[in-house]
Amino acid sequence: MARHNTGIFHSEVTTMNFESFISKFAGIVIEYIKIGNKYFLADASLTELAKKLNTKTESIGLFLGEEKNEKFMPSLALLEILAKVSDEKVIVNNIGELDFLYKKDIKKRHIKGFSGGPKEGFLKLVLNESDDCIGYGKISKDLNSETPELANILDRGNFLRRE
Amino acid sequence: MFQNEFIERYKQWGFNAKEVELQECIRVNTVKITEEELIQRLKKRGFELEKVKFLENGYFVKRAKHSLSALQEYLQGFFYIQEAAAQLPAMVLNASSEDIVLDCCASPGGKTTQLAVKAKAVIALESQHNRIPALLNNIERLSIKNTIVCNTDARTFEPDMKFKKILIDAPCSGNYAIDRRWSQKQSLANIKARSEIQKEILSNIINCLEDNGEIVYSTCSLEPEENEMIVDWMIKELGMKVLDIDCFGEKGITKPFETELDKSIEKCRRIWPGITQGFFIARLQL
Repeated sequence: MARHNTGIFHSEVTTMNFESFISKFAGIVIEYIKIGNKYFLADASLTELAKKLNTKTESIGLFLGEEKNEKFMPSLALLEILAKVSDEKVIVNNIGELDFLYKKDIKKRHIKGFSGGPKEGFLKLVLNESDDCIGYGKISKDLNSETPELANILDRGNFLRRE
Repeated sequence: MFQNEFIERYKQWGFNAKEVELQECIRVNTVKITEEELIQRLKKRGFELEKVKFLENGYFVKRAKHSLSALQEYLQGFFYIQEAAAQLPAMVLNASSEDIVLDCCASPGGKTTQLAVKAKAVIALESQHNRIPALLNNIERLSIKNTIVCNTDARTFEPDMKFKKILIDAPCSGNYAIDRRWSQKQSLANIKARSEIQKEILSNIINCLEDNGEIVYSTCSLEPEENEMIVDWMIKELGMKVLDIDCFGEKGITKPFETELDKSIEKCRRIWPGITQGFFIARLQL
């Protein structure tokens, strides 16, 4: 994985949490830069540009997530990127989508299908019927069991709750 | 409705102020979805959209079953709720895929994210730290990848580069169409104070403009002190010239009070509240 430490962002090269999160979903490499504890997807031209601004940079390119208490918290934008390449998905129906966007967990009645591992503890991206990634969660009851469940970790309703 | 002082001012410039009911308007985020697909998706949810003739990706919401911001499509970043006139400044700046654009007063990010769709990159400045989260939120929601956000006051920004295109959507006194309590909050003294801040921003940002580069200056104020008189000051003090604008709106006022302003100010666009809120747009070159 390419690591960009430009020196102007007070970067730390402590990437295990970020990398291990990505590896739960796909074997891909995502190039990033860090500003403080935040990860961003930014190409070289954008980082070069930032150096010319002579001012503190709050964000550069696409926000991928941040480390809080030594734990990586992904952004919704990162989940969208992963949804394009990952098999670890649960597809939910319209009611499941609405419930999930209100921070509720996914129940059997919501699930239209899934791909990837079914076991408890697996992380799953949650997609609606239009194939839009609406967040992610953790399997709390085996998806092949009689009462499958997925606990909501992060959903796009978060954009409203932040405002 | 509001103070006679303002009603009388507007009358002398040919506008009879009346209450307006603004139509909700959205801008399709073509980074994530096509206009056709979004129209179809919203139609299925019982929403009816009508293309705004003078905008590129703007639609009036003619029928809404519930709040736009509660829609899944909003959360997916497929559109931005952006008043119609507020979509004009970025359109007028007309950035190309080669342009690195400076957006001087960026939050909450409607114009920033609009510029980012077309530009190579956008540098977004926001002076107020408490307004940064809203800007970052919108950039993330719309999946904008080519923007740098700086918590910086445009009055003190001193980069090691110059820009060909700059948007200054300046902090202003606003207008009665977007704030029902506008007249209770505003006074002529307040408006004059705002105009001083606008001049301070322009005085510094002019140093960031390339030779032959363009500034689009806009406000949502109806007051000449923040609009035509600022442009007149830019012509006389900063040596700028006004360029033509091909956009919705009336000519700029060249004699707001006793003193005649530069004739070229007619090329600016003044939008009185009606089908949109009030707005003022000027395009200038060094």
